[in-house]
Amino acid sequence: MMPLLVTVLFACANTNSGARVHPEAVKGIPNCTECHSDSWAALNHQAVDFFRKHSVFASNARRACASCHAESFCADCHAHKEELKPSEKYMDSPERSLPHRGDYLSQHKIDGRINPASCVKCHGRQNNERCLTCHR
Amino acid sequence: MISHQEERSGCEQSSLLKIAWVVLAASSVTLAKPALAAEYAISADSNTYLRMKTTVGKDDLYPLYEYLRFSVSVAEKDGSATALHLGAWGRADLADRSSADRLDGDLQYGYLSFNGAKNNLVLNAGRQFVTEGVASERIDGLYARSDLAAGFAAAAFIGSPVVTEPHDRLSGGEFIYGGRLSQGKPGSYYLGVSALKSDGANDSRDREEQGVDFWIHPMKQVDLTGRSSYNSLSSGWMEHAYTVSLAPLDALTLSADFSRINYSDYFFHVTSAAFSLINGSSGIISPSEQLTTAGLGAAWSLNKNITVAADYRNYRYEVAGDADYFGGRVAFALPDSLSAGVAAHRMEGATDRLRYTEYRLYALKKLGAVDLAADFFNVSYDQSISGVKNSFALTGSAGYRFDERLRLWADLEYSQSPDFDNELRGLVKLAYAFDMKRSEGGGKSEK
Repeated sequence: MMPLLVTVLFACANTNSGARVHPEAVKGIPNCTECHSDSWAALNHQAVDFFRKHSVFASNARRACASCHAESFCADCHAHKEELKPSEKYMDSPERSLPHRGDYLSQHKIDGRINPASCVKCHGRQNNERCLTCHR
Repeated sequence: MISHQEERSGCEQSSLLKIAWVVLAASSVTLAKPALAAEYAISADSNTYLRMKTTVGKDDLYPLYEYLRFSVSVAEKDGSATALHLGAWGRADLADRSSADRLDGDLQYGYLSFNGAKNNLVLNAGRQFVTEGVASERIDGLYARSDLAAGFAAAAFIGSPVVTEPHDRLSGGEFIYGGRLSQGKPGSYYLGVSALKSDGANDSRDREEQGVDFWIHPMKQVDLTGRSSYNSLSSGWMEHAYTVSLAPLDALTLSADFSRINYSDYFFHVTSAAFSLINGSSGIISPSEQLTTAGLGAAWSLNKNITVAADYRNYRYEVAGDADYFGGRVAFALPDSLSAGVAAHRMEGATDRLRYTEYRLYALKKLGAVDLAADFFNVSYDQSISGVKNSFALTGSAGYRFDERLRLWADLEYSQSPDFDNELRGLVKLAYAFDMKRSEGGGKSEK
């Protein structure tokens, strides 16, 4: 019964898929409001809270993300196993909001105290082999 | 006798090989029909890094990293497309060992993807990153999503969780599945419910999480997002996170957010000893702690080149002392010419350890084929750490673009910190794009 219902719902949807590739190449950190006045304007990367909200967009508009970003863009930070910090991999882009700049070995002790939940998103179940050096 | 980790590692390798064969076999069948396609695109790039540093123990570390990324896509005339995406890295130590293994590496992702012309249909098979409500997981498995009738959409995934398990007592499960059902009106709102379940040989490592999330965009100037996730094994809310964004002017964005995290539910069955609630020797996470944060932010684009931003965040704890974090930044950008910025933030906590001020200055200048950059990051602690009150890192970088495909970049970083009196590190990056062929009318960006 369930497969039949899903098939009917799928057949009745008949929506056009979003663009696979953004129609115009974008340079720098984009301000989506320059062209978009609808909900896509909310994806303005220069907005003060874009970094905080990007997970919501990844759930609801992954295809829109993929129209500009290759899969490697997510993997640069959301890594299974990694040894180079994002800021090291993109030292040629100091304008980007990349985590762990500078002497993070000292700073992580403070950040981990302030909000350890922010560490868990990337290091809770992945990319934590180096943690074992000290955290046993 | 084989240790648990070795056993797991053997299973992982075997599982990886199977996945690689399945993905490659399916790819060769699916992608080997470019003659029927409207468009055929390949993109691949290589980034090679040589990192240089000397440790406190006088070990000379020269790890050489190679990151390879490859995508091939075949777009049909009806608008559908099939693609294969692969990304992996490897490392070889040229001098002393930088970790337990002189050689190491990882398959970051490798999956075959079909994107339908209708219903935003996506079918993926292989190693991939799934982001569906409560799920933000890397899996070896299958993923499908599609629009349904009446504004509904559904997504489901099933596979093996791709986790690291550095600690003998902390395993991450062997089987994971879940999905998300949403209803919405494009451009107006989305409401979603989601769930995931992860099982392992040891019941104590299971996960069962459910969540609700929304994205409401009632008008151009207002945007509301939020999610709440529930841990049904610990019977408690893991996290609530809500954000209101306002854009009264195109040049002005305002934001307010609230979040609450219950540690006993949020840090449930992680594989990192640092955050584990059952790893008693670590003792970093207090299970009875609850963190509530509230933040405000504003960003104003004075013109296309200058953005000024300010932010404030309050951290409130049930057990530990509270803290306020506030500051601002100014960013200047002339595309393809110059970008520069300055930022300053103050952490004002209830304990001495949580009082510090951080500053950052950076600039990137493009002079034809040459790029020059400088980056300075400084943290001044109110209370010294290991006798040090000021920690900084100063980086100078230079790059040369041989052509559109080949680029060389090198940087030198000098730092002083509580852990190192003086540290000098170097890094050289060679980036080569095998092919940057673009799709019709636009292209992918790595930024």
